[in-house]
Amino acid sequence: MFDRRSILQAFGGTLTLPMLESTASAASPASATTPTRLLIVANPFGAHPEHFFPAEFGTDFHFPKTLSSLEWLRDRISILSHTDHNMKSGHGREIAFLSGVLPETSAAFPEKNMSIDQIVARHTGTHTRFASVNACLERSIRLSWNANGVDIKPFTGAQRMYDHLFLNLTAQQRQQRRQLLQQNRSILDAVREQFSGVRKRASKNDQARLDLYANSLRDLEQNLVDRQQWVDRDKPKFDLSGYFTGSDITIDNRYNAVFDMVAYAFQTDLTRVATIGFSPELSYTDVMGVTRGYHACTHNGKKEDTVAELVAIESFQIAQLSRCLKKLDEIPEPRADGSMLDHTVVLFGSGMGYGGTHSNRNLPVLVAGGGFNHCGHVDTRDAGGDNMPLCNLFLTLLRRFGLEYDQFNQSSGSFDFATGKA
Amino acid sequence: MIRFISWLVLCIAASIATPCSADPLLIKQHCSKCHTGPEPKGDFSFHDLRRSADAENVDLWVSSLERVEAGEMPPAKHNRMTAEEKAALNAFLRKQITRYEQQSQRPNQSPPRRLNNREFENSLRDALLIEHVGTHDPLANLLGDTLHDGFDTHGETLGMSEFHLDQYITAVRRVLDNVIFSGNRPTPNRYHNGPKRLQAVDTSNRARADRTSRSDDGVEIHGTRQRIYCKNFVNAPHSGNYRITVRAKTLDRHVYSQDQTGIHDEDPLTLRMHLGNRNIDFNLQEGDLQEFKSDVWLAEGTPLEFSHHTDGLRMIGNGNFKFQYRIAHDYLKEADPQLYQRVVTEEVPKAATRRDKPSHWVHWVPYWQGPRPLIASVTIEGPLYDSWPPQRHVALLGADPDVKDAAKLLAPIAERAWRRGVTEAELAPIVALVQSQQQSLGDVGALKEGIVAVLASPSFLMLHPEQSDRHDRFATKLSYLLGSTTPDRTLIDKTRNGRLDSFDAVLEELQRRIETRQADEFLREFPYAWLQLDRINFMAPDVDRYPLYEKKAISEDMVREVLTFFRHAVDHNRPLPELLTADYSFVNADLAKVYELENVPSDSVHRKYVFDDGRRGGFLGMGAFLTLTADTLNTSPIHRAIYVMENFMGIHPAPPPADVEIKEPDIRSATTIREVLQAHQSDATCAACHQNIDPFGYAFENFDPIGAWRDEYIDVSGPADPSGPSGKRNQSFSTIPIDASATFLSGAEYQDITEFRELMNSDVNQKRFVRCFVTKLLTYANGIEPENFTEIEAIVRQSADHDYRIVDTIAAVVDSPLFRETNARGSD
Repeated sequence: MFDRRSILQAFGGTLTLPMLESTASAASPASATTPTRLLIVANPFGAHPEHFFPAEFGTDFHFPKTLSSLEWLRDRISILSHTDHNMKSGHGREIAFLSGVLPETSAAFPEKNMSIDQIVARHTGTHTRFASVNACLERSIRLSWNANGVDIKPFTGAQRMYDHLFLNLTAQQRQQRRQLLQQNRSILDAVREQFSGVRKRASKNDQARLDLYANSLRDLEQNLVDRQQWVDRDKPKFDLSGYFTGSDITIDNRYNAVFDMVAYAFQTDLTRVATIGFSPELSYTDVMGVTRGYHACTHNGKKEDTVAELVAIESFQIAQLSRCLKKLDEIPEPRADGSMLDHTVVLFGSGMGYGGTHSNRNLPVLVAGGGFNHCGHVDTRDAGGDNMPLCNLFLTLLRRFGLEYDQFNQSSGSFDFATGKA
Repeated sequence: MIRFISWLVLCIAASIATPCSADPLLIKQHCSKCHTGPEPKGDFSFHDLRRSADAENVDLWVSSLERVEAGEMPPAKHNRMTAEEKAALNAFLRKQITRYEQQSQRPNQSPPRRLNNREFENSLRDALLIEHVGTHDPLANLLGDTLHDGFDTHGETLGMSEFHLDQYITAVRRVLDNVIFSGNRPTPNRYHNGPKRLQAVDTSNRARADRTSRSDDGVEIHGTRQRIYCKNFVNAPHSGNYRITVRAKTLDRHVYSQDQTGIHDEDPLTLRMHLGNRNIDFNLQEGDLQEFKSDVWLAEGTPLEFSHHTDGLRMIGNGNFKFQYRIAHDYLKEADPQLYQRVVTEEVPKAATRRDKPSHWVHWVPYWQGPRPLIASVTIEGPLYDSWPPQRHVALLGADPDVKDAAKLLAPIAERAWRRGVTEAELAPIVALVQSQQQSLGDVGALKEGIVAVLASPSFLMLHPEQSDRHDRFATKLSYLLGSTTPDRTLIDKTRNGRLDSFDAVLEELQRRIETRQADEFLREFPYAWLQLDRINFMAPDVDRYPLYEKKAISEDMVREVLTFFRHAVDHNRPLPELLTADYSFVNADLAKVYELENVPSDSVHRKYVFDDGRRGGFLGMGAFLTLTADTLNTSPIHRAIYVMENFMGIHPAPPPADVEIKEPDIRSATTIREVLQAHQSDATCAACHQNIDPFGYAFENFDPIGAWRDEYIDVSGPADPSGPSGKRNQSFSTIPIDASATFLSGAEYQDITEFRELMNSDVNQKRFVRCFVTKLLTYANGIEPENFTEIEAIVRQSADHDYRIVDTIAAVVDSPLFRETNARGSD
């Protein structure tokens, strides 16, 4: 217990043991099982390939410069070479990173270009106060898309994110929410009564389909009760002040705050899905050795010093991720073996391969945590030498959440961590 | 002697009249050699037919009949059956199936199912007597519907969950916020926006600097991703009617050639006005300013924006607009060498970037003379109301409603929403809800809750949730078939009065609804679903190898070709088989490029085109079908064969056995797909099915992955398109001639697509196509695949009596017991 407390001190100075939001609500039977979470971190320009992909395949590889901060995860990481979404080159296609589908062709897909984080959030979101949390400082890189092909606006500042996650509603806001929930409950009451008449008049054969409605009605009634509890209950406490005192506000401490809020939201079961993006507008000059803008660094003309700046930026992104994963790994998973990281599927990557060549092939992709049997650095190309659709990996990740898709958008199979192939 | 002959005649007559004893022998004699043993051919053992058709094996009986009838079984090269024997076997199989279907008591009612999103939107609109659910995109939160073979009406696939119900309630509330009003009447305003108040934003979300191209004349829209908004009317401040006056014109319509811009010379330039989720297009001419006035209802918060709508201006580079500025370079170099020289010698050297590359787009931005709209001004007046509360509110609840009248006010809404008569007792729980809410929400607020409850009820959200009046059920089914919405008053009255009880009456009603455009939803959605056009970009053609496809959004032209063609067939009541093999189709200038046609006007309008080469026309020649069955770089005769069999012939070949290793065609070696597929002939396991499947696909090998004609395979290690990256142009590539011939099991053979199309016109194949259409239509209409072979055959016969005319066939389907959900033909 003492150990856990001292660890928790690291989280924005919280002194009390955080209470799990959903377990406090007696009414969520599903939360009795161990949750699986999803953390996705992405950038819009891909990665300088020689510094991202190890030179060797297999588990015994040297960590390249960009990934060096992840060396502590050596046996617990998978780096996937040669995946893509079959996109032509150029900017603007990275927004399809998490679905493999561009908005303009999304009509061809039943769930449009819905991103995997939102698909998982739809599934896990009924158990938590927030279905998902999306952050990308300064400007959205349009990672998350809902089932109707609308992109979800992330928090572009730490304060707004804090307000949303941890600031309690005012008395008036609570009153309004309670009122709406109460109205909806009354509507369901009336509908349930009317429905019993419908059911009586239905033929035997039809009862099964009507049960679908009956179950939906019952589940929603329960869900509204839960939500009402959340309105009444205070959110977990998080102290943001420590990040921005004293010296300058840098992208380092801003992203520290964002990642820590996500880790804490996972720990308190405020949400089980989070995406964090790195936009081009950030002042990466805060990072040691960087003098140019992010986009300018990608167009480096292979000049060594500019490439070094780009690698510094990409290393910074990975280091931020690594720091967060370390935190998650230090928290034991309540009610289950392993650490919280073992129960969190972590995906880092980009929908662009490498900004320098504008290529959208060979996307930088790595997976950690999630209880997978990690395979180190793998070449995912098939026998014919074709890149693996990244959707194959997504299919596997979705199944990890119990989402039984036969196929996911452009997938041609499912990625197998054991073999490193589809 | 005479006695002997008459005995013989009697014998023969008896054997024809009661073939049952003889025909199991026929099966044994002609089928058992292949279809028996531990590994029967085609995974079908004739023992599975057992003695007679039953619930488990009736499908086998049906497919046996279909194969024998088509002459595909026994296969031509082994066939020793006489014509008489064949007829006898046919009759025997048919009789068995009919006997089984007469005995069996299968439910003839379509099971209840959830409304899909289209139906939800339309039904909501019509139940609430509004013309549009709202420009504030109130249904944006709904989940997408999962499709079954392209159909969004398939009951089993349309799931229902807590999440759905939650989102429905949210959506209904959002819609009602724009229909029912409390509070004071907002005062109208006049918002005038001249050039200074019009502002451009880039939807790609990248540009942060103001890139508005503004002059005293107005604001120009350069890129296709730009949106123009009005600084003093970003969103509608209140729900209400607005009068929007736009003054605009086209600039430089024909300075650059259409090949460079990708905008056809004969097309007007389209200025699109975005009103939230609604668009209004204005066609712009060159010359003087034109004025466009629109009176529209806008929901509170609706954003108002303008864009240049075109599939052009994407021809250079990866399609991003900025690269198009290079056209200015190319143009000036030819048209104004003096100016060109001045820019190259004076401006380029001073530029911040790309000084070494005069042709780079960045130097030519100020010289852009591409076709573009200019908006001089936008004036908005509103919100305007004919009354307060507005008419839409009054139509639903009256001007000053009282909860005491809740039952009376809600009943008509519920009757429209629930598609049937509604009793007072049934409404009681909802009326009680309204009364209980009156204190906290007031009369209007409480009644609004009542409407939410009506629309959250299973009686609205599900089709046919209960046993209802036979007439109401028929009206509902017909209305959802044609309009995907709740039935209108006329239709309900007609059915209740028995005025749609006959085939002729149904036919007349169909024709009337088609003419008055009340069946547009069907004419759009059914062919789209039937041909599974949702899949067209699922494996989109490779962007580098087929650049035109992506750059000109050819898939949209292809989809429109199908829909225009289908609509034409219905409008002119053409015979169904013509859909498959007509010698005409509908093409525009973009499709003409893919199909290599001449004398097609330079615009995007689809017009009838008659093909005289026997290769194209009808579904079988359409780019949509040929593209959606191809992979990104390759074509697959198997995919195309399966598609043709399942969607046109109504044959459902079994998937390959799980233990078969499927060899991926290796596109790098110089093997043709046919060589790869030789295994289908040499390996007995494969051959049994593929001898039947493959002939339906080889005929299309002359069509490449975007449906363009080719005489040879081109090894894809070199680019096919000469406009591709220039560095690779010198790469050598080899060609292999295409063999598009095959032989069916029936012995029918073809050399190429033209002969294949003739085979598809045989009586047997015409009938198969019609039966397939009937099956697909019933699936769309009933939300479940029809199983009754006998009734489907009866529809096909009736269709044949009417020369297979399409509207007559639809009428036959609607009039059949399978749609009417009655027990048998002619009875009630």
